[in-house]
Amino acid sequence: MTSGATTIEVRRLSPSASTIAIHGDITSGTEPALMDAYVQASDDATRSIVLDFSGLDYMNSGGIGLLVTLLVRVQRQGQHLLAFGLSEHYRQIFELTRLDDAIGIHDTAAAALAAAGA
Amino acid sequence: MALLHSLRRSLRLDPSTLEARVAADDDRPAKQLLPTGPQVEIAASDPLLAYLQSSPGPVDLTSLELDSPAVRDLREAGVALVVPLISQGELIGTLNLGPRLSEQEYSTDDRRLLASLATQAAPAVRVAELVLERAGEIQARERLEQEMRVATLIQQQFLPHELPKLPDWQVAAYYGPARAVGGDFYDFIELPDGRIGIVVGDVTDKGVPAALIMARTQSVLRGEAPRFLSPGEVLRRANEILLPEMPARMFVTCLYLVLEPATGRVVYANAGHLPPYVRTADGVIELRATGMPLGLLPGMAYEEKEAVIDPRQSVLLYSDGVVEAHGPAGDMFGFPRLRALMAQERPGTELLNHLLEELHEFVGRGWDQEDDITLVALQRTGGGEHVLLGAGAEPVSAEAAERRVLLTLSLPGEPGNERIAMSQVAATVAPLDLPTARLERLKTAVSEAAMNAIEYGSQNDPAIPVEIEVWVTEDDLFVSVADRGLSGPIPDAEQPDLEAKLAGEQKPRGWGLFLIKHMVDAMEVVTDGAAQKVILTLHLRGVDDAGQPV
Repeated sequence: MTSGATTIEVRRLSPSASTIAIHGDITSGTEPALMDAYVQASDDATRSIVLDFSGLDYMNSGGIGLLVTLLVRVQRQGQHLLAFGLSEHYRQIFELTRLDDAIGIHDTAAAALAAAGA
Repeated sequence: MALLHSLRRSLRLDPSTLEARVAADDDRPAKQLLPTGPQVEIAASDPLLAYLQSSPGPVDLTSLELDSPAVRDLREAGVALVVPLISQGELIGTLNLGPRLSEQEYSTDDRRLLASLATQAAPAVRVAELVLERAGEIQARERLEQEMRVATLIQQQFLPHELPKLPDWQVAAYYGPARAVGGDFYDFIELPDGRIGIVVGDVTDKGVPAALIMARTQSVLRGEAPRFLSPGEVLRRANEILLPEMPARMFVTCLYLVLEPATGRVVYANAGHLPPYVRTADGVIELRATGMPLGLLPGMAYEEKEAVIDPRQSVLLYSDGVVEAHGPAGDMFGFPRLRALMAQERPGTELLNHLLEELHEFVGRGWDQEDDITLVALQRTGGGEHVLLGAGAEPVSAEAAERRVLLTLSLPGEPGNERIAMSQVAATVAPLDLPTARLERLKTAVSEAAMNAIEYGSQNDPAIPVEIEVWVTEDDLFVSVADRGLSGPIPDAEQPDLEAKLAGEQKPRGWGLFLIKHMVDAMEVVTDGAAQKVILTLHLRGVDDAGQPV
């Protein structure tokens, strides 16, 4: 009854980079929507996927597990995963779980996009 | 009915067609011992029954002249000869035979053999039937007993195990289950503003369904009460939440009263429950407020009223089981008697014990209690004595006296409810003004602990609750998340290792625990039998925003 709604928005920034903006929650229940978004965001020319967390309300360990799954898929395609817009709290969680070793975390959209070469 | 039932189990002895019939008969009940022929139903009024009852032997259907739908149906089904099975003068079934394979008529020898077979088979069939009936009865009784055990268990789990400790009030509660366990309940809910919510309710119906609705109602009230301090609003919300979940013909009457212990001020609302009595210097009055029972109709409003309980006055909340208790002569205990006992009460005496003594005297020995009985008595005294009657009394330790419970919450073990746990705890600790970062971390820790409890402790079963308690001492804030440990003990927290996780070697439960550990100042796992509790601690003094000592 209180599982918050999640909307995911995909934007192709350039032939080589796309953003996936997540509004709402990331839990294990977000898997189908996030994986669909990844399929939309990615093709043979895509080099970077940038996650926009500025609309993130809530993420739990199920959501972290989901990001790991996404990370695997992205790396298999030889792509990079980047992120921006994380609140201080979730940034700390990324550090704790070492997700920041594998996902390039940036403070701002501009910094993330520059790193993505978009 | 027994006769009809037996007749449906008629046997057809015709090997030439047996195989085809069995194959065509796939939808027959699976438990039949022998393959049966076509099912011919014989109405209880059919003249064939009277004919068979009086017939001394096999009856030839081809030549039988009887105006009977059953004879027509049997002929259509290919039956040529019917042999009645008679046991102790009662027709209990028939052997139905098709035409002889040789296409000749049944001979006199055939008929004699069949008559003799029927005479011997009939009592055997009857005995087998009686054995089956008896086994069915025993099974039904065992099911009922098992159901009552489950209902009692649910009831015991959900009733409070401790009474609130209120200075200058004597609080007592009694719950006496009927043999068939009804749906009575009572509860004390500590509210964030220091007041206390007191609930007495009754679910229509008995047994497990009533117990489950009682448990659900109680958890809804525990959830809503701290969020909406107005009793009318709490009942209104509870009604909206419970309505879609309520089975047909069930509803819950419920009185909800909020007491401010220091002033004696009470605010209350009533969802169709019996109004509480208050003994004042001028006699016994009722606290009346209008409202429909919970779970009946949408959009209900609940009248909210106020009163003040002065020193040496008392309040009695009760269920209908007490007034409807019958004496040996069949008369009821009744409202006038209860009211008179309230009026007689002398300040300083124990109201509840006195009422129960009178009740037991009234009903006499060998009382078969028809309904649950619930009594909650609040006496405004000079001292702060506490009495708990009935099962579940726990000694109150000196340490407990220093802790102030802010929230007691019981959530169904349903995925997604960790969000409720998180927001409830956040709302409860709001007055403590924790730094934002610490509050965020506490929320994540509570959510992870509740998620683990739901997924592992309750195995995602909404009927198996997860209990959350929040309390403070002078220096610390504590949140405990308790589960029933269905999936075994809580493992150690695991340092997340992306490589291992990707290889499927790390379990998400360990990750959740790792997160929790790093979100709070201390995490402790307490095990009590199978049940387990994760206790989270945040220091309220002497730490900075990051939880570092200052």
